[in-house]
Amino acid sequence: MNHPRIIRRHYLARSLILLGFALFIAHLVRSGALHYYIGPRMEPLIRFCPIPLAVMAVCLAYQALFQRSAVLCDCERPLSVSRWRNGTVYGLFLLPLLLGTLLPDQALGSSAAAKKGMSLTSPLLAAERLEEVFRAPDPYNSEFAELAKRLYPQTIVEVKPEIFSETIGAMELFAEEFRGKRVKLSGFVYQEPSSQGKANELILGRFLVLCCTADSAPFGLVVTSDQPLVGITQDTWLEVEGTIEPQTRQGQAILTVKAERIREITRPNTPYVYPSEDSVKAWNNLSGVED
Amino acid sequence: MYKQAYTRVLPILVPAAFALACLTVMYPSLIRAVPLDELQTFKTSFLGILLEALPFVLVGALLSSLLHLFVSENTLRRFMPKHPVPGILFACVLGLIFPVCECGMIPLIRRMIQKGMPVYIAVVFILSGPILNPVVFGATYMAFRLYPEMVYARMGLAFVVSASIGLIIYLTWKDNPLKHAFAAGVDAEGEPHSPTHGGSKLAAVFVHAADEVFEMGKYLLIGCILTAGIQSFVAHEQLASIGGGQVSSYLFMMGFAFLLSLCSTSDAFVASAFLTTFSGGSLLAFLVFGPMLDFKNLLMLLSVFRTKFVLLLSFLICTVVFTGAALVGTLWLHP
Repeated sequence: MNHPRIIRRHYLARSLILLGFALFIAHLVRSGALHYYIGPRMEPLIRFCPIPLAVMAVCLAYQALFQRSAVLCDCERPLSVSRWRNGTVYGLFLLPLLLGTLLPDQALGSSAAAKKGMSLTSPLLAAERLEEVFRAPDPYNSEFAELAKRLYPQTIVEVKPEIFSETIGAMELFAEEFRGKRVKLSGFVYQEPSSQGKANELILGRFLVLCCTADSAPFGLVVTSDQPLVGITQDTWLEVEGTIEPQTRQGQAILTVKAERIREITRPNTPYVYPSEDSVKAWNNLSGVED
Repeated sequence: MYKQAYTRVLPILVPAAFALACLTVMYPSLIRAVPLDELQTFKTSFLGILLEALPFVLVGALLSSLLHLFVSENTLRRFMPKHPVPGILFACVLGLIFPVCECGMIPLIRRMIQKGMPVYIAVVFILSGPILNPVVFGATYMAFRLYPEMVYARMGLAFVVSASIGLIIYLTWKDNPLKHAFAAGVDAEGEPHSPTHGGSKLAAVFVHAADEVFEMGKYLLIGCILTAGIQSFVAHEQLASIGGGQVSSYLFMMGFAFLLSLCSTSDAFVASAFLTTFSGGSLLAFLVFGPMLDFKNLLMLLSVFRTKFVLLLSFLICTVVFTGAALVGTLWLHP
């Protein structure tokens, strides 16, 4: 068992760390930077974390500062006496706080996409399973078909960020029908390390995030152009308007966009895209159509 | 006086952190000038995993603390079925009531074993809880929209694997599997002695929960650092090139799940990205193995259980999941 004075110091250090976490999360929530790290369905859970953290910090601080020495004991969970151990443990807890405060909040970009492997199809749609699905339609497939029905009459199909992966999935599902349709979409520029030389081609990508950035899946469409695309660097945000051209590359059916107009834009506040619960309903809401 | 070493570190750490923070605020260009691409990716993934796990860790710590202070051994024992078979079935269903992911599970389980929950029931709960719950079902269904067999295969295999491992543990392991310090930590009379801590029971709940957070947190943090490191410094293609053949694709996907240490609610999306390159069976192995045993989880298990027990458990998980996934993969899911 340790001396009460040492226990007090441990409790005080822990109290400060917990308080640090509470303030850090509160800061992320207030500054709106939380979405850089986690998906919207996790956000409500994280929002409440500062409350228990702060209560714990206050209780520990009370124990450390005002508790009678006789009742302070660490017999249940003995505190380590090694200086290196304690230093390392508290250092570990300080690391996320230091990283969080020192480095600017920044969304995942082409560097992460290169490591994770850029997909050229919507992760929500596994193309090789399509034949099976057409024989036995399941509710999700009809959702994509419903969405495609609504997208098709548009003169310009706008790939809205709210239903990004669903819209691309729906167009992939009916690739031949959408051939030659005009589309408009935005994303960050990603150039494969191997295809960097091709001056008239780039990938316009997005990160699909479910729970947190660690499970994000980068995917995008190949954008081709008649003129060489000079001066466009990795991670630039572009808005591209062009026509859909289904192609087969390395045995995989993908959609490409033949660009007619390319415009550089500022990075949107929400750079990631998330899967939508009901994309048809979301589309109706976004375009002001009654159900 | 080396016991006070950390107090000697703190006076340096705090001002150093403060000075660094001031520097970044005053010279933001200084930070941006450094090529930080991969470090940024690391930070974003690291904080992402940590923030995602945090609510579950807090809930787990608070529940475990409440259980410690308010529920006596006898109450818990009355609810536990005596016979092993209904006991195992009961533990499989527990996940439906407590949809906690594995990070919050382990402090809770430790407390329940101290309170007299049989080890095999605890094991079944640890294994099935992170998969057999509504949140994970929904997430998997969403990720495999066009491949719904995978959802049922995942749920079914998780059930069979955890029930059979529970049965094996019931038949083979008779000792207390907890580490010595924890096994002795409870008072012999089973009388919670901490309410004397501070007088207020409510404050004691939070002090205990904080202890749990620090106890588990260090393992969680190490797990997060390694996972984020792998995700931001090693390319997936490099990893994928390792596994090519029939058997090696299973081993690769299991090893991959172990290294990535994703939360069970989100790993389905990562798996669905491999749908074109890997067979259904090996993806199933990924989906069932990952939540049961991964890097983060292993460290947390080692913090609570004896090494020998953790080794036995890991061995059982590896073999049973491999056999099960290979069987389901060849018989039902077409490769």
